[in-house]
Amino acid sequence: MAKKIRLNLNRVEGDLELELSLGGGRVEDAWCIGTLYRGFEQIMINRAPMDSLAITPRVCGICGTAHLMSAVHALEKAFSIPVPPNATRIRNLCLMAEEVQSDCRQTFLMFCIDLCHPAYAALPGFPETLEAFEELKGRIYRQTVQHSKKILEIVALFGGQWPHSSYMVPGGVTALPSLRPIGEAESIVETFISWYEEAVLGGTLEAWLEVRTAEDFEAWISEPSRAASALAVFTRACRAIGLHQVGAGVGLYLSYGAHPEPEKWMPPYTERACLRSPGLFDASDGSFHPFDQALIAEDISHSWYHDRQEAPKHPFLSETLPKYKPDGDRYTWAKAPRYGGRAVQTGPLAQFLVLGDPLIHSLLKQHGASAWLRQLVRFHRPVSTLLAMRDILRELASPALSSGPYILPARLGEEGEGFGLVEAARGSLGHWVRIKEGRVAKYQIVAPTTWNASPRDRQGRRGHWEESLIGLPVESEENPLLVGHVIRSHDPCLVCTVHFVQSGRSFRFGG
Amino acid sequence: MSSLIWLQAGGCSGDTMALLCAEQPDITEFIKQTGLELLWHPSLSSKSPAAFQREIDEIAKGGRELTVLCVEGSIETGPNGTGYYDTIFGRPKSELIRALSLAAAYVVAVGTCASFGGVTAAYPNPTDATGLQFRQYNPGGLFDSGWRAKSGLPVVNISGCPAHPQTVVGVLGMLLKNRPLDLNQWNMPSEYYQTLVHQGCTRNEYHEYDAEETQFGHEGCLFFNLGCQGPLTLATCNSQLWNQRSSKTRAGVPCLGCTMPDFPRAAPLFSTEKVGEVPVILPLGVSRPNYMAYKGLAQAAAPERIANRRMKP
Repeated sequence: MAKKIRLNLNRVEGDLELELSLGGGRVEDAWCIGTLYRGFEQIMINRAPMDSLAITPRVCGICGTAHLMSAVHALEKAFSIPVPPNATRIRNLCLMAEEVQSDCRQTFLMFCIDLCHPAYAALPGFPETLEAFEELKGRIYRQTVQHSKKILEIVALFGGQWPHSSYMVPGGVTALPSLRPIGEAESIVETFISWYEEAVLGGTLEAWLEVRTAEDFEAWISEPSRAASALAVFTRACRAIGLHQVGAGVGLYLSYGAHPEPEKWMPPYTERACLRSPGLFDASDGSFHPFDQALIAEDISHSWYHDRQEAPKHPFLSETLPKYKPDGDRYTWAKAPRYGGRAVQTGPLAQFLVLGDPLIHSLLKQHGASAWLRQLVRFHRPVSTLLAMRDILRELASPALSSGPYILPARLGEEGEGFGLVEAARGSLGHWVRIKEGRVAKYQIVAPTTWNASPRDRQGRRGHWEESLIGLPVESEENPLLVGHVIRSHDPCLVCTVHFVQSGRSFRFGG
Repeated sequence: MSSLIWLQAGGCSGDTMALLCAEQPDITEFIKQTGLELLWHPSLSSKSPAAFQREIDEIAKGGRELTVLCVEGSIETGPNGTGYYDTIFGRPKSELIRALSLAAAYVVAVGTCASFGGVTAAYPNPTDATGLQFRQYNPGGLFDSGWRAKSGLPVVNISGCPAHPQTVVGVLGMLLKNRPLDLNQWNMPSEYYQTLVHQGCTRNEYHEYDAEETQFGHEGCLFFNLGCQGPLTLATCNSQLWNQRSSKTRAGVPCLGCTMPDFPRAAPLFSTEKVGEVPVILPLGVSRPNYMAYKGLAQAAAPERIANRRMKP
């Protein structure tokens, strides 16, 4: 008979519990349970609409810039407020800085330290892994602490501080046009690029852009001069463990599209012209589909919420009214967002498959999706992001653009509804707001981890994380390392998953 | 050897993320310099939660010393007083925080949520959240106001949303070196909270001469119309810059008063409540008649370079 175990997991920004059903040393079934509820959507009700710019970034200490961007886009959409191209440039620049920070910290402070577990001591290359990635001591670990905070100084230059500022306001950004912060930011980007090329990739960004196939990738990492690069050490360690063969999850990949094109971003904001295009990629047949936010619905059939109709609802219609019901097949208070009725995965891997990136598609064909590939995209993504940051700063400094404007006068109306969709570092993030009589009447947030960590839906189909764990070998019931690798490869952020509350099973256990 | 446990409760990890931005010392240097043993940090430790659980038992039973317990995030006491909105190992996290607080020499609330309730406790406070020893301005939270840690100090409140990383490493350094720590009436260390955000704000001259902005994206003072709390807020944001670079007010964002016990206030955060021309709430300690007299004079005395916004903040 199957045995059930319950696990706590840390380094997931917040708290996560997993319930696993084991048989023959493998995961037969899985349930994802968050253990923290915070009620942000209730806090927003009746507040001044602008307050969302201060309250919602505080949903998350890592991706507050993404929440700020979602919140300001929702207000601008609701009232058709135009934004000058330079403001979009600065918003993109700051979100990119946060993304690069998150990719590096997630990779080296959250994911790679698990490769140093004593259980792997006998694997080839372990001393090199330890030298690079050991918690608090490893070469790359310490360099990441140094450099990840430097790139965030760009957010402070334009927005005052990171985390938790509110410099994106309807109509633009609060900073004044000036060449001084642009010059300082350029220097920060170039210093970061030098580190990234030398320590992480073992080659220039431009050379890396020529790596377009699985064969190119092999050639890159097997070059002896790059043996100590973070990328090579990481790949050898992951392969020794077998992380390139586990953790695929559901085969449907969603991206809302990242970094709007400054000159094309204008009311009514129906066209999503982005540096990284939005869409859906279906790995089962290799097909690409356009993105339509109307297809998003929240299913709560396995979650404890008041619900009069039980049908999945679009975020504009759904409610967040917790109600504890211990009986039946509801096992969590996490909602289950679905796209066109289907479970999807979101995050950098989804983003790069949707945009048709040749290297990531080639690697997908080679071994399929895996924890390693998902993590590898976080080495690959900063390359194009850093180059884009360099371009944005050059544009902002150009004589034609340097005098601004960075903001246009804007006025919020009394009634309206809008949504803001962005790509946070860990995937697709959406805010939906409705304003009545000048106050917030409704606020709904669907965070990336809500997509990935979702529970089952009405058809009993598992969420993506649950699916990604099925069949995984469990070597230690106290600390199943593979489960940790697979979950952490998603850059989980449980604090963002604003709907999560304590599961009923623990409720009975404790109460 | 000193030891430290960091717990996260009802919060966003923002204090941890800010702490990763500390300079001189950064966190790896800080640990090395203070000889600190970091027993647990939920975002940083590679130890398994099960191993941590065994250490907790050892500490709670007195078999192991704990120098500092840091708590980030507010204590969620709901639903209905059970604490089950936020659990660890199947039990309310408040139980673990209580058990470790009894064992620790120092208990430190990092951030406004742990200090006073913060954003998580904002109206209608859906999770019945509280700070460790205060609920907003009211004494008493998870612990009553008379509670003291083993060292004799109450919960030390390093407030801020997030707490300023230099304040966090500064205060922790003072505790670990056994230096005296003077606390104000809300148990915030005076070394870091006897300074207003207004001090060092680069828009100060615009404030002095009453050059008021009504829209974002301009040079003048944000206090009179745009909700800035700088002249009322105790914090070092403008004397010890954020990310070594700037501050919200320097970048044109009003100070939201995020270190203060009532953060975030219920009133619209980006506008200033006024009676006629004068804000309802004046800079800290300033009397209304004096202020009225001063304000009229200040505007009249404004030099042309201020009135015409020639100076860059």
